[in-house]
Amino acid sequence: MKESYVDLINIRRQVFARIAKMAYEGTDLSELGKTCYEILPGEVATYRDSIFRERAIIDERLRLTLGLNARKPTEYHRVTDGINEVDVDETRFVEPLVNVITSACEACPTKAYYVTDNCRKCLAHPCTNVCPTNAVSIGKNRAIIDQDKCIKCGRCKETCPYSAIVKYERPCAAACGVNAIESDYLGRAQINRDRCVSCGSCIIQCPYGAISDKSQIYQLIKALKSNNHMYAIIAPSFLGQFGPLATPAQIFEGIKQLGFEDVVEVSLGADITTIREANEFLEKVPNEIPYMGTSCCNSWALMVEKLFPDQYEYISDSSSPMVYTAKYIKEKDPDARITFIGPCISKKLEALREEVKDYVHFVITFEELMGMFVAKGIELSEIEVSDEIKDASALGRGYAIAGGVAEAVKNTALKIDPSREINVEGVSTLHECVKLMKVAKAGKKKGYLLEGMACPGGCVAGPGTIASYNRVKKAVTEFKNKAAIKSPLDNEIIDERLRNKSEKKEN
Amino acid sequence: MKLKICAGSNCTLLGSLSILDQIDDLKEIISEDAENYRDEGLEVEVIKCLGYCKETNEQVAPVVVIDGEPMFNATSQAVMEKIVNKIRK
Repeated sequence: MKESYVDLINIRRQVFARIAKMAYEGTDLSELGKTCYEILPGEVATYRDSIFRERAIIDERLRLTLGLNARKPTEYHRVTDGINEVDVDETRFVEPLVNVITSACEACPTKAYYVTDNCRKCLAHPCTNVCPTNAVSIGKNRAIIDQDKCIKCGRCKETCPYSAIVKYERPCAAACGVNAIESDYLGRAQINRDRCVSCGSCIIQCPYGAISDKSQIYQLIKALKSNNHMYAIIAPSFLGQFGPLATPAQIFEGIKQLGFEDVVEVSLGADITTIREANEFLEKVPNEIPYMGTSCCNSWALMVEKLFPDQYEYISDSSSPMVYTAKYIKEKDPDARITFIGPCISKKLEALREEVKDYVHFVITFEELMGMFVAKGIELSEIEVSDEIKDASALGRGYAIAGGVAEAVKNTALKIDPSREINVEGVSTLHECVKLMKVAKAGKKKGYLLEGMACPGGCVAGPGTIASYNRVKKAVTEFKNKAAIKSPLDNEIIDERLRNKSEKKEN
Repeated sequence: MKLKICAGSNCTLLGSLSILDQIDDLKEIISEDAENYRDEGLEVEVIKCLGYCKETNEQVAPVVVIDGEPMFNATSQAVMEKIVNKIRK
């Protein structure tokens, strides 16, 4: 899906690369007004009805990429308004993270069933006969559905022998697993903040590119230029993202060339999360809590917090791999400023939390990182490297693929206490996560370890990825199999006390 | 038929991976319908940056070289059309 939205993806990425270039070159931000002319030169529209509208939308994207809000269409603002507040070397980020660019939204009609030209007004007309609300009648040219009466059961579509009836849904709303997409007074998409968990599905599914998150690349690059002690931590799904020729070691070295002192695999933090969640599960389930949900996917955890608040205490108290990796670095260098690089936009919110913000200072996606490589003229495949990467165990590296978290936790818990029987259920996509939580809330998942991931197939399909799901999944699996150690309990980088605490119970 | 797809930074940013994915998919289309295609091998190679974009201010990425001839601003549909035109009976 995402792979075939090429034009949209390219507009988004060109903006990232442009802002990154401005940051590296120290361009005066007051010149932002002419940037949209550089990205879209000439006077003929390429993508939409007019080039003026195309440029207005690029302007909003530039603002969002700088971390600013998009402008209200009803009020006069320059593209540069508010620019001084974001021209700094630390994250300046105001919620909401996910924004509808109103001037780009085409106000697609909401969910409905339509009769197409395929209709032959056949004699049998089963469509009218199966309708439970008598909403279908035969009109002059084709069958007609009375939208006021229609309850959207889909029976007419199923029964039509000519495939003449189609179900129509706005792509943003169809993609949203928590029903957060509503309409404004002009029918344009509007996001309900109380429900949105910032998974980013609508961003990648909107065929008009009308939804965007905010970025921190500008502030990050300023920080890289003026600060030492900058560290990058990279999520387990980084394999294969930057082209088939770039090896993991070259990717790490390329990141260092951007100005980072060191790069660490977030799979190391995943190993720590695994040990902690395994112990937590063994201690608490089923006596203290009926089941335990994993905690590493921020959108899944947010969904439970927002839609199932009484179940939220059953989500693991262990921090996410991002946080443990950052804490590991912070222990070695208390002045460290840490950037998480991943497939995920929800992490941008996680990093704002009170208990996280002192450890994770910036969050960017693989796409945004690629924009930085281009701005800096770095060719990953041409970098000479010798080091191998060995921060994490195979189980930690498997976190990126749906099922990988539960596998790691179960496997580790059984090593600590082989006598226990552990039931596991994992789902991916937010729709499935909501369904699973309904079942869990009804008390039908006693004794279970529940793994929830908001993206279809796990983090490897996150909204900030560059390579396709299959490509990344294959590369992640290869890298996982290459890991020198298999279990987090054997990872000597991890504090012995934590690993020993687990071993003691074995005896 | 020889295809070289650039996996340099700029080309990767602007969609060369999706061209690669589409060509993998095209191989499947061809194998499902093999009798309609000539038995000519389709050789796909991923290559390092050729440097075209560094020589100009014009937008050229992604770059695909088809039988020695470079295609600039390549799209999957244009590349696949060239392949199919050449090898479909």
